[in-house]
Amino acid sequence: MTEARTNRGHDHDHGDPHAPIVADGQPSYYEIMETAIRELLVERGHFTAAEIHRQIDLLDSRTPALGAAIVARAWTDPAFKVRLLADGRATVEDLGISFYDDTGLVVLENTPEVHHLIVCTLCSCYPRPVLGLPPEWYKLKPYRARAVAEPRSVLAEFGTVLPDEVEIQVHDSTSMARYLVLPRRPDGSDHLSEAELAALVTRDAMIGVRLVELPQGSRS
Amino acid sequence: MSDVIVTRLPNDVGGLSAAPIDQSDHVLAPWEKRCHALADVLDFHKLINTEEKRRGVEALGSEIVGKLSYYERWAVAFANILFQKGVLTPEDLAKRMREVERRLAAERGDSPGAGI
Repeated sequence: MTEARTNRGHDHDHGDPHAPIVADGQPSYYEIMETAIRELLVERGHFTAAEIHRQIDLLDSRTPALGAAIVARAWTDPAFKVRLLADGRATVEDLGISFYDDTGLVVLENTPEVHHLIVCTLCSCYPRPVLGLPPEWYKLKPYRARAVAEPRSVLAEFGTVLPDEVEIQVHDSTSMARYLVLPRRPDGSDHLSEAELAALVTRDAMIGVRLVELPQGSRS
Repeated sequence: MSDVIVTRLPNDVGGLSAAPIDQSDHVLAPWEKRCHALADVLDFHKLINTEEKRRGVEALGSEIVGKLSYYERWAVAFANILFQKGVLTPEDLAKRMREVERRLAAERGDSPGAGI
């Protein structure tokens, strides 16, 4: 690790530097490192190249649409919601959504009195089996640092302003304990089907930084 | 104020003041997704679990953590942890990295060894 050649130098400033996007496709030192580690471990029989390909396919198959379907089901099926809040992982697995790791899942129900927000202050733990990979801002210092100390101002940056009497509970994820926010079903959505409801549920609402809202003009 | 570098390891940012949140999204480069898949497979095979990975990133120290991107840190942490566990040696990795760099350069049609 003595000849680290970095790829810095692009001039915009953000909390987490990334390699500049290189047009000539020349791999970075770190990309070469990843390739070399993977090839050596495959050659020595620790795992196969096919396992890596399968895991990439699995990662691609996990999107917030899975979480949105779970939320819409909970909104329309009270018995399901009871089970979901009691045992998130087992109830999600019953829907046929596999957990590919050892993580537990706690589903947190927003109510008129309590709003939940999830964060991982130490790194980027996230309910990946049901939401896919986290957004960039979830992994960066500003959100991780501030969510636990000033959640109302963090929410305001996402355009979410809650009444002062609503308690905000912030949940700090760990390598084993992951959280998913069950947002409040929007008023005026009684006429919508489960699938139509699912289409309203965003990734950010299941992190807790936004509310679920009906599109303009669709209230009945 | 040197105590803060002991009481606050690089990852331990909860509660600190920080800049406004940049909400722009970043689409993973192919190698970044491969790196994520590698992390998962390393975990499945009990070579490096999530907690070891996090500690491995923290052990890089704040300068490296501050200068490398998310998946760059992971790659370096994997290397260091695999060295510590005796799964790979630094010589193994250095040799293979040179080979990979030459091979990829040849696939791109560059002159062999250019830029090394």
